[in-house]
Amino acid sequence: MTKILFTDKLHNCVEKWQSAGLTVIGPVQKANSSSYATVKNAGELDFNMVLPDRSIKELFFPQTEPILHYSIKKQEINTRESLPPNEPRIIFGARACDASGLAIDDPLFGWDYKDEYWFQRRNESVIVTIACTKADDFCMCTSLTLAPDSTKGSDVLLRPLENNKGWQVEELTERGREAFAKIADFLQESSEPAAPLAVVEEKFDLDSCVAWLKNPENFDSKFWKEISMRCIGCASCTFLCPTCHCFDIQDEGDTYSGIRRKNWDSCSFSLFTMHTSGHNPRSTQSARWRQRIMHKFNYFPGKFSVNSCSGCGRCSRQCPVDMGITETLQEISKLSQ
Amino acid sequence: MITQEQYRTRVKELLSSGTVKMVIGYKPGSTPDRRRPLFIRTAEEANRLVLDSACITNLSGYLVTEGLLSDEKKVAIFLRPEGIRSINILAAESQLNADQIIILGFDSTGSVVKTLDGTHAGDFSELLGSIKQNSPVKPSEVLFEQVEQMTPAERFAFWQEEFSRCIKCYACRQACPMCYCRRCIVDSNQPQWVNTSSHTLGNFEWNIVRAFHLAGRCVECGNCGRACPVNIPLRLINRRMAQEVIEAFDHFPGLNQTQEPVLASFKKDDSETFIL
Repeated sequence: MTKILFTDKLHNCVEKWQSAGLTVIGPVQKANSSSYATVKNAGELDFNMVLPDRSIKELFFPQTEPILHYSIKKQEINTRESLPPNEPRIIFGARACDASGLAIDDPLFGWDYKDEYWFQRRNESVIVTIACTKADDFCMCTSLTLAPDSTKGSDVLLRPLENNKGWQVEELTERGREAFAKIADFLQESSEPAAPLAVVEEKFDLDSCVAWLKNPENFDSKFWKEISMRCIGCASCTFLCPTCHCFDIQDEGDTYSGIRRKNWDSCSFSLFTMHTSGHNPRSTQSARWRQRIMHKFNYFPGKFSVNSCSGCGRCSRQCPVDMGITETLQEISKLSQ
Repeated sequence: MITQEQYRTRVKELLSSGTVKMVIGYKPGSTPDRRRPLFIRTAEEANRLVLDSACITNLSGYLVTEGLLSDEKKVAIFLRPEGIRSINILAAESQLNADQIIILGFDSTGSVVKTLDGTHAGDFSELLGSIKQNSPVKPSEVLFEQVEQMTPAERFAFWQEEFSRCIKCYACRQACPMCYCRRCIVDSNQPQWVNTSSHTLGNFEWNIVRAFHLAGRCVECGNCGRACPVNIPLRLINRRMAQEVIEAFDHFPGLNQTQEPVLASFKKDDSETFIL
């Protein structure tokens, strides 16, 4: 017997969580695009998509966020810090790759400086992941030693039932147990079997790729130029990526008052590394694409012992010129054989 | 397939005779319906080329890659009629020398691909002229009509909703053959003319800058809309601007290389519907 949440009870659960003060967020399809968005009721949630177009990252690290308000008068400078408003929330229907992405970024945001914006939202969020029963051509979690039912970064894991009428419930953390205790009345014990997980084919050999990337001789390989010739230098891959975390600090306003903001930035942009002198250490798109791959599979694991990729495949799925991590690592796999 | 074979043979000739240093075309993508841009330099690679109705991307933007044409050598490129128009505009705007571009023209109806006769942009003027003649002033798209029927307030709300998804990844800009500025106005930070933030104001600023800058220059190849990772219907904006320009100035961009850029030129008989 397993604890089961039947889909016809989801309405009650959403109401219950809302009345307990939780904002309910989940996968929503709207105007030809999908994302994790706040819902008023369970009917707005869409569990049919493989995964939302936009990653879960933006719920913790928004594309733009005020961090400081300033005003300057003759003899006086006033600053006011701007932290996000407290908002306890439950993210219902995350994908394992997205939840894993958050766990991958935790050490980064807590390393030399603890990013209050990230951790306040992390601490206020219950992440309920639904294991995947379908995948598309771009999914690659299994190539990153993850799986459609990875529990990394999740507070609760749900496994869809074979009859599609609900989910088996596995509470993973204290936070998850607390959230599901609130809806205990709507859960049932049952022996309904879970549906088979999505089959995600392993697309490249990660270990040999990492070894190739770590070899200093390959830093100047002509491979980089060839693989990235068609890269147009937009930030679609980095902005949709659940683990890409670079940001820029910008002041908006004038000399006398304004807002200091934290905005997404991308290593794909030439401006990202442009020096004031005009010199750019990453002056070509191939150097920028190399940086992205090296950062994810060489520098980041060197520091935090984990690859900065959870295999969601958005970089390839939504690339305007059909590039992405999968193709690059597949080609590196061939080179390293 | 016949067209593809014809063109592979032509590409082999062009490369082995040294007529061109590079050919820009298409190769298979990561799924059966996707095609990727391909750059080849030797005749042996010609068999990697594919040409079918799924070859949609307008590749002309790659021609203005810094340094590509500065050695005055020739480059051959696969282009649909819109791409040929892009070449004419880039030449008219002094961004490239059209004599350096060998065009491998093609078009498709359904799944049938046909070749377009001609080698240089100038050879296609008759075809482009007929496209102008047959181009409807208003497209038969439901969403376009719906937006047209809206009151200004409703239309503002519609675009506010659409732009709220914009993440300022600039995929629309990077995918556009006309966005060749070495430093885009939004990347100019001394002074910072346009907010980098992707909030409501910032997203409007960017999309309005884009719309105006493409007015009278856009050939509606659709690269921007296909590149947008959050599916903002950018084509509606480009279409509306194109309509304005054709109504006010009878200007259909990209017909030939001597066409003056409409918003950078002045004629005494230009209509003055709102200035005076």
